[in-house]
Amino acid sequence: MILLWIALLPLFGVLVPLLCSQRSRLFTTWATAAAPAIALGLTLSQAGTVLQHQTLRYTLSWLPSLQLDYALRLDGLALLFVCLVLGIGLLVILYASYYLSEQDSMPRFYACFMLFMAAMLGVVMANNLILLWISWEITSISSFLLISYWWQKSEARKGARMALTVTAAGGLALLAGLLLIGHMVGSYSLDVVLQHGDLIRNHPLYTLTLCLILLGAFTKSAQFPFHFWLPHAMSAPTPVSAYLHSATMVKAGIFLLVRLYPVLAGTDQWYSIVSLAGMCTLLLGAYFALFQHDLKGLLAYSTLSHLGLIVLLLSIGSPASTVAALFHIINHAIFKASLFMAAGIIDHETGSRDMRRLNGLWKYMPYTATLAMVAALSMAGVPLLNGFLSKEMFFAETLNQSILGSLSWLVPVLATLAGVFSVAYSLRFIHDVFFNGEPIGLSKTPHEPPRYMKLPVEILVGLCLLVGIFPEFMVQPILDAASAAVLQDQVPSYSLAIWHGFNFPLLMSLVAMAGGVLVYTQRRHLFRFQHQFEAVDAKREFERLIQLSVRRANVFSRWLENDSLQRYLLLMLLALLVLLGSSLRELHPLSGGRSLLPLDPVTLCAGLVLILSAIATVVVNRQRMLSLLFLSVTGLMVSLLFARFAAPDLALTQLVVEVVSIILLMLALFFLPYKTPRNAAAPRNLLRDSAIALVLGALVGSLCFALLSRPFDSISSFFMAKSKTDGGGNNVVNVILVDFRGFDTLGEITVLGIAALGIFRLLEHLRLFKPSADGEGRLWARQRDSVILNVIAQGILPLALLVSVYIFLRGHNNPGGGFIAGLITSVGIILQYIAHGVSWLKPRMRLNYALMIASGVTIACLTGLGSLWWDRPFLTSWFDHFHLPLIGDVELASAMAFDLGVYLTVVGATLMMLANLGKLTTAHRPQYEEMQ
Amino acid sequence: MNLNELPLWLEILLSALLLLGGLFVLIGAIGLVRLPDFFTRLHAPTKASTLGLGAILLGSMVLVSVSHDGVSLHELLITLFLFITAPVSAHMMCRAALHQRLKIAPGTRNGEYQGLTLARQQERDSSRLP
Repeated sequence: MILLWIALLPLFGVLVPLLCSQRSRLFTTWATAAAPAIALGLTLSQAGTVLQHQTLRYTLSWLPSLQLDYALRLDGLALLFVCLVLGIGLLVILYASYYLSEQDSMPRFYACFMLFMAAMLGVVMANNLILLWISWEITSISSFLLISYWWQKSEARKGARMALTVTAAGGLALLAGLLLIGHMVGSYSLDVVLQHGDLIRNHPLYTLTLCLILLGAFTKSAQFPFHFWLPHAMSAPTPVSAYLHSATMVKAGIFLLVRLYPVLAGTDQWYSIVSLAGMCTLLLGAYFALFQHDLKGLLAYSTLSHLGLIVLLLSIGSPASTVAALFHIINHAIFKASLFMAAGIIDHETGSRDMRRLNGLWKYMPYTATLAMVAALSMAGVPLLNGFLSKEMFFAETLNQSILGSLSWLVPVLATLAGVFSVAYSLRFIHDVFFNGEPIGLSKTPHEPPRYMKLPVEILVGLCLLVGIFPEFMVQPILDAASAAVLQDQVPSYSLAIWHGFNFPLLMSLVAMAGGVLVYTQRRHLFRFQHQFEAVDAKREFERLIQLSVRRANVFSRWLENDSLQRYLLLMLLALLVLLGSSLRELHPLSGGRSLLPLDPVTLCAGLVLILSAIATVVVNRQRMLSLLFLSVTGLMVSLLFARFAAPDLALTQLVVEVVSIILLMLALFFLPYKTPRNAAAPRNLLRDSAIALVLGALVGSLCFALLSRPFDSISSFFMAKSKTDGGGNNVVNVILVDFRGFDTLGEITVLGIAALGIFRLLEHLRLFKPSADGEGRLWARQRDSVILNVIAQGILPLALLVSVYIFLRGHNNPGGGFIAGLITSVGIILQYIAHGVSWLKPRMRLNYALMIASGVTIACLTGLGSLWWDRPFLTSWFDHFHLPLIGDVELASAMAFDLGVYLTVVGATLMMLANLGKLTTAHRPQYEEMQ
Repeated sequence: MNLNELPLWLEILLSALLLLGGLFVLIGAIGLVRLPDFFTRLHAPTKASTLGLGAILLGSMVLVSVSHDGVSLHELLITLFLFITAPVSAHMMCRAALHQRLKIAPGTRNGEYQGLTLARQQERDSSRLP
């Protein structure tokens, strides 16, 4: 339970700054800090247990059918990261309250920040791979929001977009990889997955899985060749960089590697890919850090190089190297966060981050300078500071590996080279900024920052020193616990002592320092050398690539979607042709062997009429009205066929739907040309279209024949048997609609309502060309009303309503139901529209169709929810028999209420479509007042 | 009561009704094909088919009422609706035909009425022009 609170408190904390928007900045800061502070306290209260190498777990069933649980675990590794996330997060919150200016929206910053923190906690505490991935993606999104915090700046927007694109794309790859792991192991639970390392490593899909997961981790941790986004993310506010780009987000990728280390590491693929990426990033970052003029740019490249170092350590794969990697994660987070904060202070107090202008700040801010220098020396790996210890371990490990086979001797050499550059850029950070003459052209005179802005830096620098001097006391327990979690209790013996005697690693350190000083003093030559290369602006390149892909995508979309309905239809039919044809080929023989029914003259005649009217529809297709009439003959024949083959429900529905749709089409035809104009490409198209139509017709016909001639054994017998006993109705069709498949029906009426509202919105501001005459130039008739039609229509309305009520009520046991009843009512009302016109009817029939749709769907939903009250599944229906005086035995079923919802939705949707389309055709369009 | 056990007079009555109905429908169909113009053709299905269907429905009503218990009223409803709808649709079609100035067979009484209404309408149209 405590784990749940640790994970959820920061999430609730998202709301805190938003609620504090009217309060003072100080109040907002403290209120925001409260949630992570409590969470940190809770974590520390559990630390004792975890440090005993125990794993705390908490599981909350979320979507058990998808194996998706809200499962949390707190082992040594998670504890380490939770402390980093919450601890540094708290310091950054304090720091940011001084860093942000009056114009910056503090609640927005803190809300995004807390969201990120919560997501990060989700990543490190997840005990379920999918939960881990969801949190992972939230970190991507919230980091996007944080990087683009100053969205007015084009740089910030571009940098944020680049970071999001790269990390989110990697996230998708990660999802694929995690799903593959789930597929191999059969569970997404991290507990189970971690037990099956050998299974995964020996699986044929291992290489693919590894690549996908590495893609996710490398994009997140900015490993070569995905390193380019990190320097551009530096357009974020400095607190964000201090948090995301030193301690947390970029460490998420490394966390993932460490977390899955027991199941993925130890194979050749792992060695080669991971070590190569780590080595490239290490050297690349260290080398380019030296040439940055932007203070944060230097730190960003240095971060790259340190991340590469950690990844390289992980790739070596020996237990001791893993411990070193974990140790360096802690150390890097501490010194890099403090360096970023120091850089932010300098930026804040001088208004510049350009190291060519920032010089000699020692005189103006000696205190900050001291802090920054200690942190920078730690970054360089100077003894008595924490950076020295892990760097020493790193050097020692590079001597004990064989990842490059016979070329393994290169690794320590390259590591030393990286060390040289790391010392050089650290020196540059110290010397260029704090000494080296006077500041050039600063907008304000630098001075020390406010007292509490320095506090977070002081704490972190203090930690640098403490860890550097008393490593056993400070980090040994948590390092032990974390290593135990990663290495599954096979912790090697290692020593955190500062002095190991004169040995090879020490020599490498000394070489690195001497080399670093040399490189820094001779940097002019290097700068000149580097200057002759044309700088590639990754941002511009990336943007060009993105624009290019957007253009390509647009061209492709335009090619595919050219707004021609005929073309869409053609494509869809072709697709159907391919699918249907390929599967029908396997069906052999076509006939299933059932004896055919005898042919009787009535059916034969009906079939002939059906065929002839279908052909006639096509033949006269250029005269649209005539074509439509033939189409309606087809529809009527189909409904007669339904009636003949004992499907009265279908027949009724088909009949009414036919009427309504023909009216709808006539309304639409009003706006279209009377005849289809001749098309020059017509003959060619005719050939193509008729060929497709014939082939498709043959396929569908064969399919029908194959299906009907086979012994049909479906679930219908189940419905037949259960209809009366479980659903309480004799009409199986209706019971299926409202009970067995009630959820489908609910979805359908919702879609129907949405479609009606969509049509309403489309028509609302549509001004169509309204022809004033028919196709042969005759003006429309002036006299609109027909007395006979009006009287009869008005007389029929109550009859129609009566019939629809009757059909509605009998629906559960006899042919009928809410859907048909709704259609009948609609037809009755549509008749009024036809007879009287919209303007006459509108003031007389005040029906709010939108309200009808809404109440229909609501009633249906509530009926479904009602069954939850009795602990039954959603939409379980209930029925019972009652004896009422005078009327007799009456069956009441909850399905009736559901049917009422269907009825209302159908009436509302049908009329909304027809009335609104019809309104367009009326002579004067009434001004639009309300949705009706 | 089984269909085979019907008394002779009833069988004769039913047959007569069915024949009568069939005859009317046939005449209506022939008229639809043979009559010279739209207005006369309109008579055939609306008048003759109404009567024809009425006779058939009457036969059905008698048969069902005798063979089952009680009086069958479904047919009455069908007849009612037929009688309601057929004139209305005939009326509407007629109006449309008048509006479209369809050809009128020579010798039609009140044939000039079409021209008359049209003239009246044109007069009204022209009077509205500024």
